[in-house]
Amino acid sequence: MASLPHCPVNFSPVSDLLRSSSSNGVPLKSLGRRVQVLGSSGGKRERGDLVIVGAAPRKGKKHEYPWPANPDPNAEGGSLLHISQFKPLKEKEKSKPAILDFEKPLMDLEKKINDLRKMARDTGLDFSDHLVSLENKYQKALKDLYTHLTPIQRVNIARHPNRPTFLDHVFSITDKFVELHGDRAGYDDPAIVTGIGSIDGKTYMFIGHQKGRNTKENIKRNFGMPTPHGYRKALRMMYYADHHGFPIITFIDTPGAYPDIKSEELGQGEAIAFNLRTMFGLKVPIVSLVIGEGGSGGALAIGCANKLLMLENAVFYVAR
Amino acid sequence: MNSSDRIELLIDPGTWYPMDEDMVSIDPIEFHSEEEPYKDRIDSYQRETGLTEAVQTGIGELNGIPIAMGVMDFQFIGGSMGSVVGEKITRLIEYATNESLPVIIVCASGGARMQEGSLSLMQMAKISSALYNYQSNKKLFYVSLLTSPTTGGVTASFGMLGDIIIAEPNATIAFAGKRVIEETLKVTVLEEQQETEYLFEKGLFDLILPRNLLKDVLSELFKLHGFFSNKNQHES
Repeated sequence: MASLPHCPVNFSPVSDLLRSSSSNGVPLKSLGRRVQVLGSSGGKRERGDLVIVGAAPRKGKKHEYPWPANPDPNAEGGSLLHISQFKPLKEKEKSKPAILDFEKPLMDLEKKINDLRKMARDTGLDFSDHLVSLENKYQKALKDLYTHLTPIQRVNIARHPNRPTFLDHVFSITDKFVELHGDRAGYDDPAIVTGIGSIDGKTYMFIGHQKGRNTKENIKRNFGMPTPHGYRKALRMMYYADHHGFPIITFIDTPGAYPDIKSEELGQGEAIAFNLRTMFGLKVPIVSLVIGEGGSGGALAIGCANKLLMLENAVFYVAR
Repeated sequence: MNSSDRIELLIDPGTWYPMDEDMVSIDPIEFHSEEEPYKDRIDSYQRETGLTEAVQTGIGELNGIPIAMGVMDFQFIGGSMGSVVGEKITRLIEYATNESLPVIIVCASGGARMQEGSLSLMQMAKISSALYNYQSNKKLFYVSLLTSPTTGGVTASFGMLGDIIIAEPNATIAFAGKRVIEETLKVTVLEEQQETEYLFEKGLFDLILPRNLLKDVLSELFKLHGFFSNKNQHES
């Protein structure tokens, strides 16, 4: 069964595994077995000879671990940072931020200010008056822009590619954070991240949708669109938190649940419904926070909380 | 890695108190195989490895946090789980239930011990019942650490019942062995399909940890779950 070409997440069914992944496409059933050579090939082998079919070892499938080869035990932040797969982005990726079109005038002003500062540094001339007036202008423009946003502009900001993601927030507010994986029922969905972390010494369970910070990560994270496996992972973690008495904090940032046939077959609706019902039965307090976009049911599945909060430029909507 | 090295890796030196060291298997179903009677096999392995059975259980401190730990050893008859192994682990869990200690069990097993028949199978049930009391009634914290290889009865009982399941990189973790699957279904099973990395993507474990980070991460996990160190009381 071939997966759809635009489908970022690859669920390989059992039947796919029966074919060798190396280029010759030899059926795996015949690996290691002696098969009869039907025609003569190149003179060396005679018709009727038995030949053992082998496959080339899988190349390039070496698993990459998030920890360095020689982890420093006294590293700042402790060994928990070594095992996290969420590492800070490299510098060259950070320097090209995406700019929305209505932010352009502001960016131009900022560029002017920076150029002026640079010129002041290089030439030693005093531009402080000019600089102060430009900076005042910038502040005023900033305030004007962000208090008078149209709804569509707000949606675009909520979906801004450089907006901090769930893990960015978690690592900056917790002292320690361990990510826990797996729904113990078939798949570890990368779109929902769960883990336990401590704030001021008290332990909390963190659950949230994770979007990528660049295109490559976005594909890996399926653009923050969870499959039923992700919701079941969240469910398992909510039971875990209830069992051990950790309050739950959820971060919502999703365009919605992943709408593909495979998810339908696995029970996307059922997974969301089960989560909704369960969240009302938990004994621990739950706080949900929309940090980006809250897309309909996919967001509500981890959003039935005691208190639902939203960031200033976050959106929560119903989608068709 | 044998069990004594594992204990040295995880437990603070000088704090390890073993339990039930003198428990030895008698031959419960009088298993007389042609090559070697079961009793002689046990004796020879005891002399070779210096262990009395395939598991070492005891109390120790991990970075100052008192824990109960059981470590299975693959070198003793392939780490197979017999009635002594089952009893030692059950006693460990019951002790931890009474003393409110967290439990770590390091699993390394080839499966149930054939020479003890159905009694080996019942150990799975016995340990799971002790774990029910430990986890559901007293709500303490149990970490299972799966090392290479972990197969058969252990995977189907306490190996996969941990609050948190940690696996080692490149470990073989399975329930049915490769050969059994291949012969029953006539399909080929690649080695990688029963290795940690593949199963991690399929959502079976919480974490993969290498040995050098194990002790630190475990102590952080215990602290997050409310088990604190004996020393430095004012800091925790």
